[in-house]
Amino acid sequence: MDFNAIQILLVAVWTFIVAIDQFDLLESLYQPIVTGAVIGAILGDLNTGLVVGGTYQLMTIGNMPVGGAQPPNAVIGGVMATVFAVASGLETSAAVGLAVPFALIGQYMVTLLFTVMSPVMAKADKCAENADTKGIDRINYLAMAALGLLFAVVCVAGLLGGSALGTTLNALAEKYAWFMNGLSAAGGMMRYVGFATLLRIMLSNDFWGIYFAGFALATIIGYVDGLSGSALILIAMFGIALALYDFQTRTAMKACGGNNAGGEEDGI
Amino acid sequence: MASNYRNLTPAQPLDKKTLNKMVWRSLNLQGSFNYERMQAAGWLYCILPGLEKIHTDKEDLKLAMAHNLEFFNTHPFLVTFVMGIVLSMEQQKADINTIRAVRVAAMGPLGGIGDAIFWFTLVPIAAGICSNMAINGSVMGPILFLIIFNAVQFAVRFFLMGWSYKLGSAAIGILTANAKEFTRAASMLGVFIVGALTSNYGGTTVALEIANGESPIVVQSILDGVLPKMIPLALTLMCYFLMKKKGWTPVKCIALLLVIGLVGGAIGLF
Repeated sequence: MDFNAIQILLVAVWTFIVAIDQFDLLESLYQPIVTGAVIGAILGDLNTGLVVGGTYQLMTIGNMPVGGAQPPNAVIGGVMATVFAVASGLETSAAVGLAVPFALIGQYMVTLLFTVMSPVMAKADKCAENADTKGIDRINYLAMAALGLLFAVVCVAGLLGGSALGTTLNALAEKYAWFMNGLSAAGGMMRYVGFATLLRIMLSNDFWGIYFAGFALATIIGYVDGLSGSALILIAMFGIALALYDFQTRTAMKACGGNNAGGEEDGI
Repeated sequence: MASNYRNLTPAQPLDKKTLNKMVWRSLNLQGSFNYERMQAAGWLYCILPGLEKIHTDKEDLKLAMAHNLEFFNTHPFLVTFVMGIVLSMEQQKADINTIRAVRVAAMGPLGGIGDAIFWFTLVPIAAGICSNMAINGSVMGPILFLIIFNAVQFAVRFFLMGWSYKLGSAAIGILTANAKEFTRAASMLGVFIVGALTSNYGGTTVALEIANGESPIVVQSILDGVLPKMIPLALTLMCYFLMKKKGWTPVKCIALLLVIGLVGGAIGLF
């Protein structure tokens, strides 16, 4: 593949932007339909970019059956599929297939960054202790830039190395699968620390039952396939009923001469 | 941590300009996303301009920043709804426990609603139409897609911010009459939601199988037979116990989980 330096630079810049965009910014630039067209235009073949982007987009929203594996990351999937289609005139589904190893590496980068950012939260706590608002801004901007850079590196490597690099990456990914497996398992567990932190503050001794009730209800609803989207709304309805009942009972108790019971209301 | 702000005089209501500034910031809610507290630092980043206006007392600003750095996760396109309510409570200098409880109770359910609106409805419709335009070689495909998607996104973001800020300001007067009862009820709802999240967000399973001739024993299905989502519950309670009783810091818990994950990955546990 022979792309000139300016094209490679522009692909890197666009990848940097859309890597951030997949979680922030407009959260729509990264969609294959947009990214395919932009990458196509950069590489001098807008039409191929439009076709690959449009076709891959239909695959991602499930409107088109996908032959073979779907790239685990749509950002790199969209960029690299377009690159391969323009460079070697491949059909979209073949180009998307070649993009899979790169997208896999991209997904690993995301896992890695989200893991590394967990202990950085202690630094954010320090910023709060010092009312350092600029520090909080900086942590956010730096994390976004890191994500953009990691993705840009993967895509530039793909531009230079071509599909041969994809094969190498695949072999490498297989070799270290246990590590990434463990890392993503650990990543999936770290939210329990977040829950525990909230509980440590919110959970007085008489709320243990409430905690387990929420857990039980969510587990039951979790077993109903059709409710995966609305699960938390349904759960919230139960929670609100519970909380409202408690609120009404206690305000009624207070109104009925709870004055001598409480002793905390001094009045003015 | 103190549960009250030092300066309890309600601050000036936030002006339109500050609210709008925070809507723009809300785009980067997930800037520092991480597995421990998810959007927490991004959430704080989004509401900082408001907090700075509200808490002119530096000690109060520290308190506000600290409690807004706790676990947070909601739908990125609907976050301004939570922002409006929380900011109205901050402005009224509500009890910190109350603000926390309302924040936790509001963030959970929005996730499902947002996915339903944006990822399962808006994107398939908009992308479905526009993709076919693109495949036919029209540049209008991607452009139209961006216009439709972002018009809806920004309308939702700006509307929810203004609406929920007003809603919160109106509701708070009624609630302060029964502040103690309200805090208790809101905390109940919050704890209930955290219980639900433990199960709903908790996806840890083990891949262990014990060889047993024709039909290997799948450990996870045995665990599910006893109590589904047992591992997320046990790990959450373990972290709670380690922090509450043993004085562990969150970072130490993260390190422990990292070791469990990597060792587990190496021996094929996950």
